[in-house]
Amino acid sequence: MSDHAVQQPERLSPVAPPAATAARRPAAAAPISEDTRLAVEIREQVARGDVDQARSLFSGLVTQHQRRASRIAYQYLRDAAEADEAVQDAFVKVFSHIASYREAWPFEVWFTRILINGCLDRRKSRARRERWFVSSDDGPPEDARLPFGGAGNPDPEARLLARERRARLASAIDRLDGRQRTVFMLCHYGDCSPREVSAMTGLNESTVRVHLFRAARKLRAFLGGQP
Amino acid sequence: MMGWTRHLRDDRLYECYLVERGGEAVDPRAADHLADCQSCAGRYRQLSEFLATIGDEAAREADDLFTPERLQQQQDAIQRKLDVAARPARVISFPGQTAPTHTQPTTRVATRWLAAAAAAGLIVGVGVGETFRPSGAGEPAVSRATAQATTPRTAPAALRVSAPAPAPDANDDDRFLRELEMALQRPQTRELLSFDNLTPHAREIGRRVR
Ligand SMILES: [Zn+2]
Repeated sequence: MSDHAVQQPERLSPVAPPAATAARRPAAAAPISEDTRLAVEIREQVARGDVDQARSLFSGLVTQHQRRASRIAYQYLRDAAEADEAVQDAFVKVFSHIASYREAWPFEVWFTRILINGCLDRRKSRARRERWFVSSDDGPPEDARLPFGGAGNPDPEARLLARERRARLASAIDRLDGRQRTVFMLCHYGDCSPREVSAMTGLNESTVRVHLFRAARKLRAFLGGQP
Repeated sequence: MMGWTRHLRDDRLYECYLVERGGEAVDPRAADHLADCQSCAGRYRQLSEFLATIGDEAAREADDLFTPERLQQQQDAIQRKLDVAARPARVISFPGQTAPTHTQPTTRVATRWLAAAAAAGLIVGVGVGETFRPSGAGEPAVSRATAQATTPRTAPAALRVSAPAPAPDANDDDRFLRELEMALQRPQTRELLSFDNLTPHAREIGRRVR
């Protein structure tokens, strides 16, 4: 097992209450997003005991976030089945803890923290298994197992090149240290702004920017400037 | 050329990229420099292309895997899990779930478990020796790990090749390994690991055999 595989990213620690986050936001009266409004409504329905109605609204929330959640989870875990489970568990956790949701946090921030902590736990538990069990050949890469070899591209050579490029990129990302990887993935794969990443991770915004820049510089070096 | 004597550093270029990507206005001094300096403009273009390509590539890769059908199955699985969570008092079995959960081959699990049982037995043997040493009384963590390792739960779970739902076992396994590792961190156990180092490990044998 290589050294970088042993090194585990830190679980996201509890961050300051929403008031502190809100204080950094430029406009105090920023409009509440649609998903946040929906989450508040679900919380109120659950509080009223109207669970069926809450469940039906909740599936709308899942639809809004599951693609992005799957992208993030897959980049963390590099295993589609495990990413599926991480995403499912995160949503189940969201619904069962909806009473503790506070709208001072955008729903996306709250949800993403839950998702990432779940992914980090899974990575830790996988590393633990790998320390104890015979490591086995993991078979062909994930997209090679898809009916059409992954990408919609029918050209086998193009597919092979894409697969190699992705493997190279994944291994470069894996060489980043835990915080840099989390921050970089949230920003460049999860489309979050440095301010949102700061709210998700509890790191202050300038630290996020420093991690982001260092991660990008390392990746360029690892990949020779070519993604 | 312009009022600038120095080119923009890489971290400033990166900052410009983030700001522009977020739809905000780039710092006017940096923007002026980029407009006037071909070298920095070229570096900026390269950096932007590099980062945009990385993001696009990752998104495409995930989207190839997480097709609309798969996302629908994910939704269904979430609803099923919420159903189960909503009925804690009754024990209901769900035979033959259709959604793909873990696709780990069971034979591999069995092999891995045999190796694990051997490895755990080796370490636990060390732990047992430690527990029975007169001065080593009262070592709850090791004793607990030992007790867990010797209950029939572990090995039979590995051999239950046809068991359909591996998820709860996986959690148990993880807890077991976590406790085992905690036990191994105890100073008195660590001393004994030097003996363990003299003994071939199941995983090494496995590697040689393959
Ligand atoms: Zn310049």
